[in-house]
Amino acid sequence: MIKHSDERGMDLLQGTLDMLILRTLQWGAQHGHGIGQAIRAQSDGLLKVETGSLYPALHRLEKRGWLKSEWDVSEANQRAKYYKLTATGKAQLSRERDRWSQLVDAIGRVMNPASAKE
Amino acid sequence: MRPGDDDLNDEIRGHLALSMKERIERGESPASARLSALKEFGNVTLTRDSMRGVWRPEWFDSAEALGRDIRFAVRSLLRAKGLAATVVVTLALGIGANAAIFSVVRGVLLRPLVNRDEDRLIYIRQSAPGLSAANLTFSIPEIKDFRSRIRTIGGFGEFSTTEFTMVGLNREPRTVQAGVVNGSFFDVMGLRPVLGRLLNAQDDRPKAPAVVVLTYRFWTAALKSDPNVIGRSIRFGPSSATVVGVLEPSVPYPADTEVIANIVTSPHHLGATMVTSRTHRMTELFGRLAPGVSLDQARAELTSVHADILREHPEAYPASAHVQLNVARLREQLAAPARTVLLLLLAAAAVVFVIACSNVANLILARSVRREGELAVRAALGAGHGALRRTLLAESLVLCSAGAVLGIVLARPAVAIVARYAARFSVRALDLTVDTSVLWVGAGLAMAAAVLLAFVPRLPSPNAPSGLGLASGVRITPGTSRRLRMFAMTQIACSFVLLTGTGMLVAALVTLQTANTGLNMRQVLVLDVPASATGIGGTRTADFYREATRRISSLPGVNGVAVGSFVPWRDAGSMPRLPFSADGATPVSGEENPHARLRLVAPGFFSMLGIPQIAGRDFTDDDGAGGTEQVAIVSHSIALRLFPNGDAANQRLFLTDMVSGKSAPNRIVGVVADVDDENVVPEPAMTVYLPVRQVGYGGRLFVHASGDPHSLVPEVTRVIRELSPDQPVERAATLEDVRAEVLSSDRLNAFVFSGFAGVALLIAVVGVAGVLAFSVSARTREFGVRLAVGSSPGQLVARVLSEGTAIAALGIVAGALGGFALERIVHAYVESLRIPGVLPVLGAATLLILAAAAASMMPATRASQVDVAEVLRTE
Repeated sequence: MIKHSDERGMDLLQGTLDMLILRTLQWGAQHGHGIGQAIRAQSDGLLKVETGSLYPALHRLEKRGWLKSEWDVSEANQRAKYYKLTATGKAQLSRERDRWSQLVDAIGRVMNPASAKE
Repeated sequence: MRPGDDDLNDEIRGHLALSMKERIERGESPASARLSALKEFGNVTLTRDSMRGVWRPEWFDSAEALGRDIRFAVRSLLRAKGLAATVVVTLALGIGANAAIFSVVRGVLLRPLVNRDEDRLIYIRQSAPGLSAANLTFSIPEIKDFRSRIRTIGGFGEFSTTEFTMVGLNREPRTVQAGVVNGSFFDVMGLRPVLGRLLNAQDDRPKAPAVVVLTYRFWTAALKSDPNVIGRSIRFGPSSATVVGVLEPSVPYPADTEVIANIVTSPHHLGATMVTSRTHRMTELFGRLAPGVSLDQARAELTSVHADILREHPEAYPASAHVQLNVARLREQLAAPARTVLLLLLAAAAVVFVIACSNVANLILARSVRREGELAVRAALGAGHGALRRTLLAESLVLCSAGAVLGIVLARPAVAIVARYAARFSVRALDLTVDTSVLWVGAGLAMAAAVLLAFVPRLPSPNAPSGLGLASGVRITPGTSRRLRMFAMTQIACSFVLLTGTGMLVAALVTLQTANTGLNMRQVLVLDVPASATGIGGTRTADFYREATRRISSLPGVNGVAVGSFVPWRDAGSMPRLPFSADGATPVSGEENPHARLRLVAPGFFSMLGIPQIAGRDFTDDDGAGGTEQVAIVSHSIALRLFPNGDAANQRLFLTDMVSGKSAPNRIVGVVADVDDENVVPEPAMTVYLPVRQVGYGGRLFVHASGDPHSLVPEVTRVIRELSPDQPVERAATLEDVRAEVLSSDRLNAFVFSGFAGVALLIAVVGVAGVLAFSVSARTREFGVRLAVGSSPGQLVARVLSEGTAIAALGIVAGALGGFALERIVHAYVESLRIPGVLPVLGAATLLILAAAAASMMPATRASQVDVAEVLRTE
């Protein structure tokens, strides 16, 4: 993907995109564009999801049964595909969230030994 | 579930629309909003492809990757054409041999018979080892005993053959072997008609009309599957019979006949001898197991009843004959003689396959040593272990599939040859066809080979990267190298033995084909003119032959005509051997009464065939006429044996009649040279000749032609038909033709053996090439250093070539020693085996050395073309 050096941004950690998508959809059905915007807004513009990664990821999650989709008319007055969390998707989100907090905790201990001792 | 292309496009379009709307709301112009939305989105096509890719099944990706690998493999193999061709041909030989032999094994040993419930069908055989009679067959009283006492057999089928002269169905009068069966035969055999009906119990009644069933082969081949054949009448000598049906295709056992008749058709079968004589055995016996009875139970009952019969009729079963009974499933009976041969062939083919694979593996290994650099680079660029393995697998798949395709192409003609060979042991090989099982075997073997070959090469280890210098190379330990050389040497030794054997066979064949038989081979036409078949007998037979001789002699292009009773080689075994003795003869002490071959000949026979008269005179037209003295002519070895002093003429010779046991005197009027007319390898032959007229039997006509003998056949036939319209005139051939026909089995032997030897030679050569290629590849550095210190490329070529020929030479020595030992062992069992002449041995050795040298050329050239600078840099 093309990287713009002038743009402030961070690469997503590998494997976290799925979790972010699931998390974003917790508030309700949303289309791909909306999901991308939501992740960017939530991260104060730090995380920018490339569409080339976002859409295949959505389809992958749908294939696994964590999302389901339906067509509706978007605010741009055009056909758009809305994604929604399924029950198994919800379960998956909580699993990923646990895994993530364990990972953050573990990395924090390594990077910050002093604070971990508190 | 799975989105279509429209859905994917709509989804992307929706995204772009939203993105544009947002930008326009921020104040951008629509055109610039559109541009920046597209720019932000990136590559639309790529994204759409990855979205679509998510939904593809997983195997699709692997298949795609394999497809890529296969394209790559084909390209990389095209750069190594010599290697690829060698590997493909070697594998094709291995796969082809296995596929062909497996087809035959399946067809002969495993395929069920077409007969209904064929596993209930048994074949019963009476044999007398004491009389060296492997098949004594049964007489009608014996079968009657079985019928009345046996409970475990549901029904018996009787089959015998008899000779008829068949006239009708728009065919030339011919002598045919006809099957004669009882009414329950077809029911017991479980066979069905394809047309009309088969025979049943009604056809067994004494007053039943004579009826015949045609066999499928005769109906299709001779009558072009004529559907109107039912109801037509066939004349058998004096009587006639009606065609009632056509039998389905089935195994022609125990005899391949054209027609199968009911018992009343054959006058002989109704005669008193046939019905009442316990020793008049000519009937084969089949049985169908009664419901719920096992083969073992039936065998036990049959054996015990048979033992009772033996006790009740000691006169019919001399103790010295050791008469015994064998009971076997029909299918096993048919396959048994071929089983050992076929299983041996199958084992040999399997060994060939394994050897072919290991030779190919050596070649592949040598190649993988050479391309270790390439593999290491690919590993360094991120190709995983699996990906590398997949590359190799793709390559060996390409090679093995090509090998399998070629192998299956080779297998088709090979099946025909192996089947012809196997047909000597089992009739079931006659109707073999190549079916899809060849494909399955070929494909299976190819897969096995592919996987094997893909796992032979070592991959660059990710844990111990050899670096991009990649100079490590495979280090062959002296042990590996020696083992490989031994392996190649063993192959050379085996193919040496095979080649020498083939050479022997071919040499023997050439000797046989060019041997001087002492007979006029080219100009003498022989024909079967069996007068007995038309019911002419006694003096009328002699008159018929004399008149035929007179008329044919006057035809243009005929130099001479003589009647005889025996076509050399073709009629071998058809005439009895009679014990003989003589007045005043000195029997050799301690020797049994000698037996002589009996031949009936007309005057002029000897001079026409070129048999020299040694003493006395030829027969004359008066010899053997009623009331005259009985005369004989003997062959030289009889004269020498009975009268060593050379005074055989006018002595009395006593011939013992086999049936009556009586001896009758014949005055010896002449002595002729020995001619061995039974064996293709001539041996001294004791033959007694009697005049045709004296016995009233002939059957064979010899015509000496001045031009092409075959062109006389229509005229001769016409003249004979004038005398007797229904007279069969058959199997016209020159003696040369007859001999070629008799030698055809030797030719087939030589052919099959040559095939094996050729395969062995090719594989052994590939073995040598593989070993050398491997050793050269692994010694690249050594050669580089040698070149650097001043060796010329020519010296390197010579060095590798000498290594190749050394392997071959050692292999030949080992083969010669092994072959000699083998010959010693085999000689104990097979008398006729001879040490091969010098020519086949030298020929085989030269061929092998040349082949090994040729095989060494490729690796040798490679050794001489090593790039010195590159080798030294990598050090």
